[in-house]
Amino acid sequence: MKKEDTVKLISSDGFEFIVDKEAAMVSQTIRNMLTSPGSFAERQHGEVTFPEISTTILEKICQYFYWHLEFA
Amino acid sequence: MSNKRKSVLQIEPYKRRIIPDQEYSDKTWKILEHAIHQIYNHNAIGLNFEELYRNAYNMVLYKFGQKLYSGLVSTVTSHLKEMAISVEIAEEGSFLEELIRKWNDHSKSLQMIRDIMRYMEMTYIPSNKKMPIYELGLKLWTENVIYSNQIRTRLSNTLLKLLSRERAGEEVNSELIKNITKMLMDLGHSVYGQVFETPLLQASSEFYRAESQKLIERCNCGDYLKNVERLINEETDRVNHYLDHESKREITNVLVKEMIENHMLRLIHMENSGLVNMLCDDKYEGLSRMYNLFGRVTDGHLKIREVMSSHIRESGKELVTDLERLKDPVEFVQRLLDERDKYGKIVNLAFNNDKLFQIALNSSFKLFINLNPCSPEYISLFVDDKLRNGLKGVSEDDVEITLDKVMTLFQYLQEKDMFEKYYKQHLAKRLLSGKTVSDDAEKSLIVKLKTECGYQFTSSLEVMLRDMKTSLDTMQGLYASHSELVDGPTLNVMVQTTGFWPTQSSVTCNLPAEISALCEKFRSYYLGNHTGRRLSWLTNMGMAELKATFGEGQRHELIVSTFQMCVLMLFNNADMLTYREIELATEIPTLDLKRCLQSLALVKGRNVLRKEPMSKDVNENDEFFVNDNFSSKSYMVKIGTVAQKKSEPETLETWQRVELDRKLQIDASIVRIMKSRKKIYHHNLIAEVTKQLQSRFLANPTDVKKRIESLIERDILERDDSDREQYRYVA
Repeated sequence: MKKEDTVKLISSDGFEFIVDKEAAMVSQTIRNMLTSPGSFAERQHGEVTFPEISTTILEKICQYFYWHLEFA
Repeated sequence: MSNKRKSVLQIEPYKRRIIPDQEYSDKTWKILEHAIHQIYNHNAIGLNFEELYRNAYNMVLYKFGQKLYSGLVSTVTSHLKEMAISVEIAEEGSFLEELIRKWNDHSKSLQMIRDIMRYMEMTYIPSNKKMPIYELGLKLWTENVIYSNQIRTRLSNTLLKLLSRERAGEEVNSELIKNITKMLMDLGHSVYGQVFETPLLQASSEFYRAESQKLIERCNCGDYLKNVERLINEETDRVNHYLDHESKREITNVLVKEMIENHMLRLIHMENSGLVNMLCDDKYEGLSRMYNLFGRVTDGHLKIREVMSSHIRESGKELVTDLERLKDPVEFVQRLLDERDKYGKIVNLAFNNDKLFQIALNSSFKLFINLNPCSPEYISLFVDDKLRNGLKGVSEDDVEITLDKVMTLFQYLQEKDMFEKYYKQHLAKRLLSGKTVSDDAEKSLIVKLKTECGYQFTSSLEVMLRDMKTSLDTMQGLYASHSELVDGPTLNVMVQTTGFWPTQSSVTCNLPAEISALCEKFRSYYLGNHTGRRLSWLTNMGMAELKATFGEGQRHELIVSTFQMCVLMLFNNADMLTYREIELATEIPTLDLKRCLQSLALVKGRNVLRKEPMSKDVNENDEFFVNDNFSSKSYMVKIGTVAQKKSEPETLETWQRVELDRKLQIDASIVRIMKSRKKIYHHNLIAEVTKQLQSRFLANPTDVKKRIESLIERDILERDDSDREQYRYVA
């Protein structure tokens, strides 16, 4: 997996989930974050922090992303 | 919490770390406000999207949406005010650039804010019917920047100045203008209209008014039109570059109005270069340019049509009443054809074959051709000339083309039955003298006439052609069956069916013995083939070829008329004959005999007979001898009859015949109509009759009335008893 195709999603506990950009873009919010015209920090570093989302939840979310890509 | 000591599973609500109260909302708002400031100050790098998004989300969630929205509005407004100031203080040259730069900044910032506040946009705004963020941004921009006192007028003026500089030919930064106009269009059509379009149209119309004044003083019509075209093209280019499509239409309208509509009449009637001159000089390019440009103006084409029609009518009238020209009918018709060709080409090439123009052309031609009563006759003479020798050696296609052109002229005639009469006469002469250049050409012309006027018109013509062919067959049959005749004089008989050929009085004479024997053989053969028919010989229309040997041994072949042949054959048996003797022997009527003898004895170079005394006219006591000294360069000598040019009585006769025919036609038409209608009002009857006879001639209402009266006398019609205006058909 190339570096450019991935984003890092960080949960409140500090867990880092590295997923494909395509998967992450399933979420409109993350999509806006990454394609916004401004030069926000997320885009620059390629990581998004979620201080209010726990690890277990974030894990489920990532699974949902991939399910969505494959079956929806 | 339950007090009972039951082991009931309680699901605790989330431990909220956030307590939604005023203090919280202020804190959150502070964060967001700070972020907006950063964004507008180009410090957005490093901002944490997630955090801002979460904050905005929380504010809306905890019902502080109102605060968020109004806070947003005020923050953005304050920033815009700052921007406006910086634009205002910009210098002349960089005013527009500064504006555009600030606009781009604002757009970008707005996007970022929108992304952050997406949750608010999705939930709070629709439910509270607030303006979405993007629109809000545009509105605020418009209010604070564009409409700020200083900027608004300055913007309009700068733009107009730039455009006028470009019109004058200078190079300007069209990218910049395009960006500005795009911004204005994004801001909404009313903004665009107020700030830019309306002043632009105003300025343009003034500019073009001045331009047109300048040009029209300087240029003639053709050049002026060229310039207008160029300006229109330039303006359209300019508009395509940086204006809205709606504007394009408006601007071209302005241009057209100022430059063309205001000066239309002046252009048309311009001396030495106006419409009339262009028509005369076949200036196709100029004419088509005028057609295109005037087409953009209402009534433009109408004006052109009017002037063209009146010009054609004037020049046509001149042509038709020019006495010099009228002396040569063939020339006359040729001129008409040329004129028709010329204008046809003009309508085709320059006016794009526009139907209305075609109609105008045709009606004008129709008008002036019928001003000259001799037109039908002349057209027939023209065709006659062409079919005799004009079309010799011309290819079949060219023949068709010429005949088609003649047909267009024919269609313009009102008195087509006059033409028919003359054509019949000319055709008969052509056929009998064998002078027609091509049978195919004759046939094709008859077909064309049939398609134009119907079967009735051409029935007699077709019969005439058929008679010729039948006669040929008969002659072949005669010689095939009577082989002994081959050695004798060759006979060629043309049998005419009575009634279809133009009537000539039949004149008989005494044919020489050999000839009359031959004629009798023919008569018996023919009547053997066709019973119940009657033959009468028309000796005044025949021709003969005689082989003659003169006193000094010259041999010649003489081509003479039948009468002349009879006279000459008498000299086989006598050296000298007096007038009276000739008259007695041949029984040719006096007038014809005199003419015949004149042509034989008195025409220089053709005097095969000698007359004593050598006076000019032929008298009763003159004596005739064979001219032994006759000489001619060619072997074949044609001796024509002293021409009887179409005299006044003959024209009158033709005209009277036509009148008579017309009376009968009107009668027939009235009876036809009455049979179907049974009862009809007077004026309706006249209208119907005129319509029916339209294809042949123009019926005169007084004539029709007279014929109605005569039909009433003959008890075919009667006046209705109850209503004197109506007629009834008497069965």
